[in-house]
This record gives sequence, C-alpha cells and structure tokens, in this order.
Amino acid sequence: MSAAPRPRLAALAVAVGLVLADSSIVVLALPRIYRELDTSVAGVTWVLVSFNLVMALAAVPAAHLARRIGPGRAAAIGLAVFAGAGLACGLAEQLSTLIAARCVQALGGAAAVTAVLELLPSELARNERHDLIPVSGARVGSDVSSVGSERRAVAVWATAGATGAALGPAVGGLLTELVSWQSIFLLQAPIAIVAGVPVLAVARHEAATGVVAAELRRTGRPNLLANAALAMVSAAIAAALFLLVLLLIEGWRLSPIGAAIVVSAMPLAALLGARLGSSAGGERARAAAGAILVVGGLGGLALLPKAEVALTLPPQLLVGVGLALVLSALTETALAGRAPQAIHGGWTISARHAGVAIGLIVLTPVFTADIAEQRHDAIDASTAVLLDARVDPLLKLQLAQRIEDRLEGERGKVPTIGPAFEPLPSDPEDRADVLRLREELQDQLDRAATHAFSPSFGLGALLGLLALVPIGLARRVDL
Amino acid sequence: MNGGSRGTFLVVAAIAVSLALVGAYLAAGGSSYEPAKTQDPCKPRPWRNPEGLAQIAEQFSLSALDGAACQLGVSREALARALATPAARERFTKRYGIDDTELARAVRAGLLRAVDDAERAGALSPLLAGPLRATLRRIPIEQAIELINDARSLLNNLQTFLGPAGGLIEEFLP
Repeated sequence: MSAAPRPRLAALAVAVGLVLADSSIVVLALPRIYRELDTSVAGVTWVLVSFNLVMALAAVPAAHLARRIGPGRAAAIGLAVFAGAGLACGLAEQLSTLIAARCVQALGGAAAVTAVLELLPSELARNERHDLIPVSGARVGSDVSSVGSERRAVAVWATAGATGAALGPAVGGLLTELVSWQSIFLLQAPIAIVAGVPVLAVARHEAATGVVAAELRRTGRPNLLANAALAMVSAAIAAALFLLVLLLIEGWRLSPIGAAIVVSAMPLAALLGARLGSSAGGERARAAAGAILVVGGLGGLALLPKAEVALTLPPQLLVGVGLALVLSALTETALAGRAPQAIHGGWTISARHAGVAIGLIVLTPVFTADIAEQRHDAIDASTAVLLDARVDPLLKLQLAQRIEDRLEGERGKVPTIGPAFEPLPSDPEDRADVLRLREELQDQLDRAATHAFSPSFGLGALLGLLALVPIGLARRVDL
Repeated sequence: MNGGSRGTFLVVAAIAVSLALVGAYLAAGGSSYEPAKTQDPCKPRPWRNPEGLAQIAEQFSLSALDGAACQLGVSREALARALATPAARERFTKRYGIDDTELARAVRAGLLRAVDDAERAGALSPLLAGPLRATLRRIPIEQAIELINDARSLLNNLQTFLGPAGGLIEEFLP
C-alpha cells in the first residue's frame, strides 16, 4: 500500500468533515446567492434543503453499497462525485443548475461519509499495529478491527463530522466575503481529491482481493428513538443557525464576514460542550440536557429584546453547548452495540439530514410569510414616524418620495432606508432633525426584521422540545 | 458525585440556565420588541402647538388624512402612501375596492374633521370654522379628486389643499 496509516486516517477524517460541513457551509452565502441568482428566499433555501434531503435519502443505501462494493471503492467514487459536483456548483449560473449539482454532491457525499465509517475501525487498528511493528500491507475487514477500535472509529467519525459542521458556516462566510460564494464549492473539489488519493490504495486492494463481499453481515434494525430524536434536534439546530444567519445578514445588514464572526460563537460553545460532555452523566442525561439547552437558546433568539448582535451571544452559547451534548449522546446511543457500523452510521446521517431538511421546509414558509407581514408593518410604522416627524414639510415630502422608491426597489425584503437620506441637509438644524428621523425609521425596521424571525425561532424551539419525547421514552424502552 | 447524580445535575442545570435566559429576555421586553402599531384614525389625535401657517397646514393635512382614512376604514399611513403618486393611488383603490367618488367623499369628510380638530386645538377661530365647513361641503367632487391627486399639496400647501377655502383660512388664522 502506498499511503502511510496516519496520513490515511487524517484523509478519512478530512473527507467526513468536508462532506458534513457541506450541509451548513453555504448558509452564509445564501443571501449573496439570493441576490446574484435573482431568486426568492424560498428558492434559495433549496440550495440547503436539496443537499440535506438527498443525503437523508441516500445515506443508508450508500452504506449498503459501500458494504457490497467495498468501502474503499465506495469512498473513492463518492469523493470523486462530490468533487465533480462541487465544480458544477461553483460554475452554476442558474439556481436550478446549482440545486441539481447539490443533489449530485449529496449522493457522492453520502457514499463517502458512510464508507469512511466502515474504513475507520480497520484504519485505527492498523495505526495501533503500525506503532508496534512495521506494516507492509493490511487487510480490510473485521478481523483487524475490534469492539474497541469500532468505538474509537465512531468517536473519530463523529468528531470529524461535528468539527466540519461547526466550522462550515464560518469558512463559508469568509470565502463568500473575501472571494465569492462560488469559491466555497470550487475549493471543495481539490480537497476532496486530496482526501481521496489515500483511499484509492484501499480501493485497489479491494478490487484485487474481493475480500469485502465475503464479509457482508446481517443488518440489525436501527435505533428508532435515538434517530428520531436526532432528526428533531437537528431540525431545531438548523433553525437556529439558518435563521440567525438570515437575521444577521438580511435583517440587521451585517456583511457575510461579520455574520461569520458572530455565528462562530456557536461552534466555540460546542467545543466547550464537548469538554463538558466528556465528564458529565450518561447518554440519556446528556441528550436531555443538550436538547433543553438548544430549546432555551432558541427561546432566547425568539425573544430578543433589541436588534443588537451581543444579545445573540447568550442564546448561541446555549445552542452550541446543547448541540455538542445532544448530538454526541444520541449518535453514540444510535450506534452502541449495532452492527454493521456503516449502516447504522448511515441511519444517523439520514436522521440528521432529514431533520435539517424538514426543519427548513417547515420553517421557510413561516418566516417568509412573517417577513412579508413585518415588512408591511414596518412600512406603516415608518410612514407614521415620517408623518409625525418635526422636519420641514418640503424635506419630509422629498424623503417620502425617496423612501417610497427604495421600498419599490427592495421588493419582498425588509427595506434598507439609509441611502434614502443621502445627501444630508447642509443646515445643521435640519441635518440633526433628519438624522433623528433616520434613527427612528431604522429602529422601526430593526424591530420589524427582528420580530419577523421570532415565530420561526419559536417553532425551532418547539421542534427541540419534541426531541425530548423520544429521549424521555428511551428511559423506559430499551432499543 | 456518581454518574446518575451528575446526569440529574446536568439536566437541572440546563433547565435553570434556559429558564434564566428566557426570563431575562422577557423582562427586558423581548415579547414586545416589534414595530409601533398604527393608531386608529377614527380616534382623535392631539395637535402639537403649531407655529405659523406651514405647521398649521401640516397638522390640518394630518387631521384630514385621519378623517378620510377613518371614513374609508384604512390606516392613515396607507392613505398617505396612496396619495403620494397617481400610480400608488391606483394600486390603493384597486386593492381596497374603492372608486374615485368614494375616495373624494372620504377626503371631503377628512377636511371637515380637520376643521373640527383645528378649532378644538385653537388653531382656527370659531368665527371662521362655520363658513369654512360650509365652503368645504360645497367643494365639487372633481375638485376633491384634483386635490388628492397632488399629494405634495395635500401635505404641504394648505391653500392648494383647500382650494377656495385656503384663502379664507389665511385671513382668519389666529
């Protein structure tokens, strides 16, 4: 074999992180895609929904495929498809092309990520042997793995996935701001190819020996309650991340890089949660506590008392710590004592991505309707402020015309009215009056934008609360 | 602390922290952070102390808008936007199913209410209010439509806004 064990292990972890980052990496790019591809909020949401939906549907069949043709070959093919579809995403000039390419990307990603879970135990075992004696080759199969290496494999796989998912939005935001939204996808292709090179050696070995087909084992049924809870809590977490990003960029007018910095609080808190989780209670307690924190965080976001970035930090802290606790606990529960790992890992991937997709599908019409309603209320409130303002009537009428033009230009979005006040009057008294008026109008718009997201954050909290039902049932029923 | 106790502590701590955050945000006004509600145009709106003709004209216009909006069953703000341009007015009448005659009648009713409000606020002499009402009642519908076609004059220039009555007002202002 050409690849040394440790680089190959790193390559496998990178592959998992890369694919699972993809479910969230475009979140911060969505507003830019929304504008550049001239689509609607509901339309652009499908850039995320399509990927998650296809991942949800394809994860388990992909895991079966990996066990049939060999995890090395499945991972290599999956990464190649992922890279190719990533290039297609980056070159897409229409929303429909982008969504189609995202679906293909998800197919490749599902094959890669489930196959890697099958490869990891043997790779970890090889690493352990490599530390003791020189290894000239290795067999792929369960004879080199053990219960211990399977548990460690789950830990590596889950950590790589969680790291990717946590870093995704920030990396996506940075690339969107510094380069372009297309660069997110174009950059994925070479990384996927580099991660796939060491896997080729395993694929060649499988092709030469045909050892995998002989190792097919009967698949046990999935852990229904843990996977159901995973789906619900993933829907709630998707709500937190997706809605918060939209609120920051579309509602509060932050740049993608600014929003990336703000939402980095969530993965940082998740790191804290992961440390906390390693020393706290059993899986069920961690799952319950994590889900409660996610619900609390979403509740806080639904009740923001002002349009201030700092006020999003405490809720993000709760969601971040909560997601680290609940996702790791539920994934461990779903995989504990189940074999084959790739199939059950496929079920957890399927549950998580189905949750994200369902969450987005349920929430999108709610918040788009709320944005439209709040836009109307904001315009009414702003008109009232303008009518009652103590500024020169002629100036007031000029402003009214300019604001009306901006409202017309911004279609269904929460409008930006700042430019309507340019140029400011030269007379100091008029200037002060106009600045005060602008502040009052902006306050009304901020209130509308923030309030438009409240019901959706509340709905996300409800989804998180629902996750407590299967977690609670799991106390009584051994699955 | 054993595993079970640690688990119970973790869940209780999660509940406490979550409730504390939600409670703090509620206490800080999180449930009422929304755009200001528009006022019912049928309810009286106090006049500010107007200084000079321009401010009286503006208050008069706002009262007239309130009165007309009340008559039509829409908000003052929606009507003000409708009167800003002919295109906006057309969208408004289509949306609410209001024809030009109804709109003109409503504007006339608004003008009468503005006279009442101005008189109550002491901005219009009672000696003037009676004849002014009589003048406004006689304003032809076409003229009312002409008046509302020009939103600038509606909000800015009392004389244009009231047509023949404008001159009277200027003469009898306190």
